[in-house]
Amino acid sequence: MALDLYQTAAQLEVATAHIGNLGDQRARQMDIALATLRGADAATLNARVDAAQGTLAFLPAEAVEDPGVTHAPGPLPDDFTVMAVDGSHIDVNRHLPLRCSLINIGGCRLTYGATPDAHMFSSPRLRTSDAELYLADPASLASRQPVEGALMGLVRAVQEAEALADAVEEADSDLPTLALIDGTLVLWELGGDRYPAYVRSQLMDNGILAAMARLRTMAQQKPIAAASYISLPNSSEVSNLLRLALCDYDPLGDCQRHCHAFIPGDRHCDAVNEFTDRDLFARTLAPGERSALFASRSSVVRDSYGDHKVHFFYVNVEEEIGRVEVPGWVASDPALLELTHTLVIDNARRGGGYPVVLQEAHEQAVVTGADREAFAAMVERALEGQRLPVYTSQKQRSKRQRYV
Amino acid sequence: MTTNNAEPNRIAEVVETTSTGFTAQCYELYGAPALGSLVRVGDPAVYAIVHNVTTAALDLGRRVMARGASEPTEEAVYHNNPQIARLLATHIEALVVGHGVGDATKYRLPSSPPRIHAFVYCCDASEIASFTDGLDYLHLLTSSSTPAIDEVIAANLRLSAESHADSDAFRTRAGKALATELAGDIARLNAILRGIS
Repeated sequence: MALDLYQTAAQLEVATAHIGNLGDQRARQMDIALATLRGADAATLNARVDAAQGTLAFLPAEAVEDPGVTHAPGPLPDDFTVMAVDGSHIDVNRHLPLRCSLINIGGCRLTYGATPDAHMFSSPRLRTSDAELYLADPASLASRQPVEGALMGLVRAVQEAEALADAVEEADSDLPTLALIDGTLVLWELGGDRYPAYVRSQLMDNGILAAMARLRTMAQQKPIAAASYISLPNSSEVSNLLRLALCDYDPLGDCQRHCHAFIPGDRHCDAVNEFTDRDLFARTLAPGERSALFASRSSVVRDSYGDHKVHFFYVNVEEEIGRVEVPGWVASDPALLELTHTLVIDNARRGGGYPVVLQEAHEQAVVTGADREAFAAMVERALEGQRLPVYTSQKQRSKRQRYV
Repeated sequence: MTTNNAEPNRIAEVVETTSTGFTAQCYELYGAPALGSLVRVGDPAVYAIVHNVTTAALDLGRRVMARGASEPTEEAVYHNNPQIARLLATHIEALVVGHGVGDATKYRLPSSPPRIHAFVYCCDASEIASFTDGLDYLHLLTSSSTPAIDEVIAANLRLSAESHADSDAFRTRAGKALATELAGDIARLNAILRGIS
């Protein structure tokens, strides 16, 4: 047996008993957190964040509205379209005899109303050339980054955004349209100095932001909203913002100066620090409602996103609290913002708690374990068909032929 | 998938095939011909009788979920969930009962089965009348171990009778042919004959 489930079960029992003992304390903290959320004022909180600029040990949201406000969805249009794109990939695998990768982009377009319709597509793209396997510096081809691991994920995210713009263009519909991506709009990994500037330029300026610009151009002619949806979000930007409401140190929010020696649980802000944003909004949003609108203060958004500055709100889709991210041009247009909210709620209801259009896009995009094995076998067969030598690692061979 | 407008009788495409029968995916959801229908597939033509119709999720790994608890009608379930029609598929299973050789029809199995992706056509009245002019194909049906085959035989003969100018004469002729095939099993013969009348 690979994993000793008996030992694991015993450890789980101890862990869950510990969680149960925290119940009363969490309830008291939740009362404080909810009171803070409901009484929070956007201007005051934003001013506090600005005052603490550079000294915070956490990332707070920017409040666009008072954080405690809630909004009901708007009326559902008679006819409308919801579309989504998702992606999956097979990364470069050094155990394979050919250096290659594959990105599969799947999508779904659903039209509701008088003439309902469904369109689904998937587009696998094999990547074998140097131009596909490396991101090179146009100024010096000697500098290049292999497209694998985290960078592969980023390239895929860019291709998803491009495919979404393509899908909206192809649909060429005058109906109110919501174009959805699964996950976040923020390419977090491109923040800081992890990647050189030419990588950021290709993936950000000429990548996701160019795709967003195409969507914005179309949205200037037709009612098209672009957004992303995150199921079971784990972010705490709103919770972090509320920590500023509870912090009463002077100077405000200088975490390293005031709290470096505190044990978590003893700080003023710990009443909200225990909770994710969805923990809070699960208690304030009625089914169908959305939270106040917030904006990201992350450095990657601040430095690069411009008009596409990522805003977000939370929605109660009945089965869970989801997070919806929208670019600035959707956030600043009340009609598009309401359309986004309304159609996300409607589509999640149709999907039993998760937007059905994202479910179907995922089904088109997913690359299963069996697909991966079939892909590896196809690579070997293709090489053999060309009478080329087929090398694979002994590790790969041992996985295929398990023996005692 | 949608029906080919140029060939309205083309209703399905072979997705599994054996010497004795095949499974075909219908182009339209619920677009299967009636149980017992005569269909033609491939070139040279292979004739087969539809003995089973199934509609299920196209991806067998995804179970169909009930969606109509708050919908007023079955129609509304499909109307408000347009993806459903793309995720379900209707399949027909058919028993091969003959094939064409030149202008002649042979009531026996072809030397090779229809190919995968071969188009399946519903036979029109004249084609049905022509094929069922001979009844030797009943031997292949009566000797099949397919479940509920007697119901399929009765359904086929009822449908075929409609394509003959003298339906009663066809039923009488078919009854005699069945009596020869099932001489040793009167109970089974009577059950089929009751289904024809």
